[in-house]
Amino acid sequence: MGLSWSVYESGIQHYLNPDIIPSPDEETTFDPQLGFEKPRNPRVMIATEEEMISAKIPIASRDYCAHKLIEYKACRKAEWPFPVKCHHEKHAYLTCQYEDFVLRMKEYEREKRLRIKVKNGELTV
Amino acid sequence: MSTFQVAKCLAKLSKLSSNHSKVLVTSVRNHWNKDHKPGPYPKTESERLAAAKKYGVHPAEYEAYDDDGTGYGDYPKFKAESGDSKDPFYPWDYPELKRNFEEPLHVEFDLIREDRYDVTTKYTPSCKIQYLQFIGVMSGLYLMFWICEHFKCFHAAIPKQYPSDGKTHYTFD
Repeated sequence: MGLSWSVYESGIQHYLNPDIIPSPDEETTFDPQLGFEKPRNPRVMIATEEEMISAKIPIASRDYCAHKLIEYKACRKAEWPFPVKCHHEKHAYLTCQYEDFVLRMKEYEREKRLRIKVKNGELTV
Repeated sequence: MSTFQVAKCLAKLSKLSSNHSKVLVTSVRNHWNKDHKPGPYPKTESERLAAAKKYGVHPAEYEAYDDDGTGYGDYPKFKAESGDSKDPFYPWDYPELKRNFEEPLHVEFDLIREDRYDVTTKYTPSCKIQYLQFIGVMSGLYLMFWICEHFKCFHAAIPKQYPSDGKTHYTFD
């Protein structure tokens, strides 16, 4: 319920303050290193383009978790007809997706807070 | 064939003549265009009584349309009644029209007959309530549409990051 309400509230807040509350379609607009004491680590893509093409990974799934998806699909193929033996790979892939979503939520929150700071005059870009 | 039987046949034939047969009189001597046209508006009491008798209406119930230029001469005013309100089990002479022989018709009978507009049925809910119901339902739907159009709910997250975007994405480590 709490998560559901936050989904509705984000829409209401975006309607009331469209200049502060970012739309879910907007990319981040601030310098990624702004406000960090030491440089942030870039995200690493492990699976290569050739591997993803070879494994027939859909375009929508070619994200930073693609290597886990390849492992999971390979496991399913190896263990068929007992794909339940690949529960570990599946869980690893879904955990990676969850962490990716958490990172996106953090980026959204950072964008929102920086916008509020700019509006209040606490930050000049 | 005896003389008596011949006379009987002739008597039957004579009933078909115009002097005796009401059917023949009605079908041949009436129903011309001039017969459908009403007479002039009755001004005197004797004209009124004559018109009532002509249309087969009781003089107390006879009332012509107002002679204001849009009237119908001496044609009497009847209560408008559509077919749905007439008794379907009554032995009508013309069951298709729910009408009896020589029954005077309402002046707009062609508009209010059974396959046309129904003037007598009282709808429940009434037309006014139905109109309000329609407006209420449509406004409610529009309100829901307006709310969903302006308050679009979403997960508070930026778009999905892909390595093929050509940008460098960073972790929070």
